[in-house]
Amino acid sequence: MSSVEQNATVIARVAGNVPKSQRFANGVRRWWPYYVMLAPGLLFFLVWHYFPIWEAKMAFEQVRIIPPNLWVGLKHFQTLFASPVFYQVLANTLIISTLKILFVFPVPIIVALLLNEVRSGKLRKFVQSAIYLPHFLSWVVIAGVFIAILSPSDGAVNQITGFFGMKPVAFMTDGNSSRWVLVFSEIWRSAGWDSLLYLAAIIGIDQSLYEAAELDGANRWQKVWHVTIPGIVPTIATLFILNMGMFLSADLNQVINFLNDVNRGQIDILDTYVYRIGLRTGEYSLATAAGLFKAVFGMILILSAHFVSKRLTGKGVW
Amino acid sequence: MAAPRGTAIRRTPLERIEYAIIVTTLLAMVVVMLQPILNLVAVSFSDPSRVAGKSGLDIWPSGFSLDVWMLLLQHPNVQRGILNSIFITATATFIGVVGTALMAWGLSRPNLPGRRIIFLLVLVTIVFEPGIIPDYFLMKRMGLLDSYWSVILYKAVNAWYLIILVRFFEEIPEELLEAAELDGANAFQIFFQVVLPLAKPALATIALFYLVFHWNEFFRAMIYLNDQTKYPLQVVLRQFVVEGDKLAIVGADNAANNIGVAQINLKALKAGMIIITILPILAIYPLILKFFTKGTMSGALKG
Repeated sequence: MSSVEQNATVIARVAGNVPKSQRFANGVRRWWPYYVMLAPGLLFFLVWHYFPIWEAKMAFEQVRIIPPNLWVGLKHFQTLFASPVFYQVLANTLIISTLKILFVFPVPIIVALLLNEVRSGKLRKFVQSAIYLPHFLSWVVIAGVFIAILSPSDGAVNQITGFFGMKPVAFMTDGNSSRWVLVFSEIWRSAGWDSLLYLAAIIGIDQSLYEAAELDGANRWQKVWHVTIPGIVPTIATLFILNMGMFLSADLNQVINFLNDVNRGQIDILDTYVYRIGLRTGEYSLATAAGLFKAVFGMILILSAHFVSKRLTGKGVW
Repeated sequence: MAAPRGTAIRRTPLERIEYAIIVTTLLAMVVVMLQPILNLVAVSFSDPSRVAGKSGLDIWPSGFSLDVWMLLLQHPNVQRGILNSIFITATATFIGVVGTALMAWGLSRPNLPGRRIIFLLVLVTIVFEPGIIPDYFLMKRMGLLDSYWSVILYKAVNAWYLIILVRFFEEIPEELLEAAELDGANAFQIFFQVVLPLAKPALATIALFYLVFHWNEFFRAMIYLNDQTKYPLQVVLRQFVVEGDKLAIVGADNAANNIGVAQINLKALKAGMIIITILPILAIYPLILKFFTKGTMSGALKG
């Protein structure tokens, strides 16, 4: 214990004998430098995270050009819940999140298991260095890359399918494929990097378990199945639950770069809807109401995720 | 990384085949991740007149020309975009690292009165986000719309990075701090002379986190900035490639008279733009691998 804390403990212990004002003065003397250092960061949090909560009251108001705004209660929420477009974007959000859980989530686990089998350190490093790269590219760049590889005239994908005699598809503007474009671009971006978390968990597995399995004559698959996978189940559970917590997000930064007028019916999500009606067509209050709907249910999801995870694995979201 | 796992000596032909399949799968993945980028590099260095119809599978330039690169790097929109991105990224990273480090140090002191409340304030922001419209109106109220500072200051301290640094500071051996205090160092001296030097790797990691984040940021710049001359590179790229607004680079005059940039194949220009935008990331990629990997691994291990 540092003397700082010892001192604090002493202060706490003798607190009963010291007048309150004296205690306060001692506390200030000891801790003020720390509060000074905390202040700028704390100010950022208050301004950028708490003031917007106040601004969100707009969802209950009629915005007027000349303030003050008019309080209208739940009117905008009623409009929202009566709007078919809202249910459409909600459905899209849920479908896209479900597709990602089903088809994106397992990929990094498999990648980690494969990487773990590679015995040559150099080869493994090489593979890792290559497959982590897309994680560090912006969604604008990734959309640009996908526009190129999915191009119906000379994109790599249509070149390959063309080789097998299939007709070219304009994936970017084909409503049927747009959700899958989201799934595959997400895999492309995150499959490599996310495998790192599982790899870290695998490395933490007690080596003697593998030795014991080998003594029992286990082969590669039996060791994976009986030692490695049970060893990373807590990590899988934590990340799965964390994903569930983000279920209503479906990633604005991604979707907004793949969205166009043709595939709007398939991949317009809550966030892009809020952006469009709020900042493009100026229905501020309705957009704020939709945003609040997402914020409140998102909060319930994340909190549930946190406590379920804590319960099951001892690890929370934070 | 530690010794390879599952080090059974290859015994049977079956196991050899299995191993070959595993390695092939991983190498296929490497190809899938890198080939599209190599293709864009190849297109950008190709003779622009030979780019139309060039297969997306090619990773070798058709002919060789620096026309695309010269044009783009001399283009005022691109030059401005680069400068804007550098300014925003550098300033925001600096503010982010300083703010995060100072706050994390305070929060890492276990006996700090009010520590739990401040922590709670931070955690609430992870859980509840009122959304982009309230953020926008806050920006407007503060008079920051259309200013660089809207993008730079917006959520300048990241809650996740803060938590990572707090965990790191908590593990600094108490004896060191104690020794410094016995030497008569005050709280600021301890922080700047003892804690920060120890925290260099952690700070480098956080700095890289911020750097990559701000370089790749486009959405806030897109909604807060109106003035096109303030656009960072990502927004210029988005206009040109994602929204397909070719005038963003070609320019109305050039397009109308079919001169200058207008004569260059659009596909080549787009490929070049994408590569220019990821160049800084590629340049610091070795550092990213070193620090991000370590940071993420240790975070995952400690849990």
